[in-house]
Amino acid sequence: MKVQEFTKGLVKKNPVLVLALGLCPTLAITTRVENALGMAFSFAFVLIFSNLLISAIKGFIPKDVRIPTFIVIIASFVTIIDLFIHGYSPSLYEQLGIFLPLITVNCIILGRAEAFASKRPLGETLLDTAGMSAGFALIIVLISGIREFFGTGGIVIFGHQFLPFILSSPATGMILPPGAFLVMGILLAMLKKMGVV
Amino acid sequence: MSAKPVVVLTATCLVWGVLLGITHVLTKDKIVEAERAEINKVLSEIFPSASFVEENGYYRCIENGKLVGYAAIVEGAGYGGKMKVAVGIYVDNTIRGVRVVSHSETPGLGSRVAEDEFLKQFEGKTLERVWLKSDGGDIDAITGATISSRAVVEAVRKGMEELARRFSL
Repeated sequence: MKVQEFTKGLVKKNPVLVLALGLCPTLAITTRVENALGMAFSFAFVLIFSNLLISAIKGFIPKDVRIPTFIVIIASFVTIIDLFIHGYSPSLYEQLGIFLPLITVNCIILGRAEAFASKRPLGETLLDTAGMSAGFALIIVLISGIREFFGTGGIVIFGHQFLPFILSSPATGMILPPGAFLVMGILLAMLKKMGVV
Repeated sequence: MSAKPVVVLTATCLVWGVLLGITHVLTKDKIVEAERAEINKVLSEIFPSASFVEENGYYRCIENGKLVGYAAIVEGAGYGGKMKVAVGIYVDNTIRGVRVVSHSETPGLGSRVAEDEFLKQFEGKTLERVWLKSDGGDIDAITGATISSRAVVEAVRKGMEELARRFSL
């Protein structure tokens, strides 16, 4: 069990920047830092637990049907969590509402199940998925921070003013879909140029 | 080819199907309760001290044992997708208040239909006056967001018409 299994997810094999997985949620929900945090937490929860389960039962799954089996497990897992949060914590559900079902189609989860969890023991899977979750969180929080700041003029997280509104005429375009592509593209280009990824 | 893949996949689906079923039964009542609480919260913004009696998706609003109005939650089609609008009316079919419960309009433009400044215009209006000014009514559309503004107007009209029919006002 090596600590690299965790750290590789942060930069070297960052799911968004390097593996280019999970781009839809990255582009869609990074309009506000608050949304990115909500997505990052629910995503980490589903990724870690569904992949641990897959790693635990990998010996029983025949190769031919592994992908449908993974999908059944991931989708059911998400639905169960969705139902429980809806019933028992309506306020959290209001925050996470649309992000929960979106996690099912986040290909990082299936990607890690296929590339890692289905071949490796539990301990390494835990490190790998925790690292991937952290890497995903890092990127979506960074992108949403840039978009929210330039798009609205400041940053508000769960009702707290994190950055005051200092821009007097913010560029609304930044929190619209084109802003997502712009920020993502510029960020990727800069990191490539600096040799980070 | 062996039968193992079929058996495993079928078994997986069965197990998770049962788990989903159990979860549904466990959470069903709680979810209904949570949704009702949510609706009550929105309606109490329009009728602050009333209690609400549901009747096939519409609400009678009772204050101190007296019927003060009716309310409905209607779906409309906005610019960015579905929007949900709550309409509260007095017994004489004039508007007590309007709230946008959920929407997916453009942030900063269409999303302003959910703000008080726009919604206050509806207060006290009768059905005939609920049109945008450009359509001959009393409601000022939000600059740059005519479609979103019209969507709210249409949802409010739909709500009022349905309430009038339901409670024969």
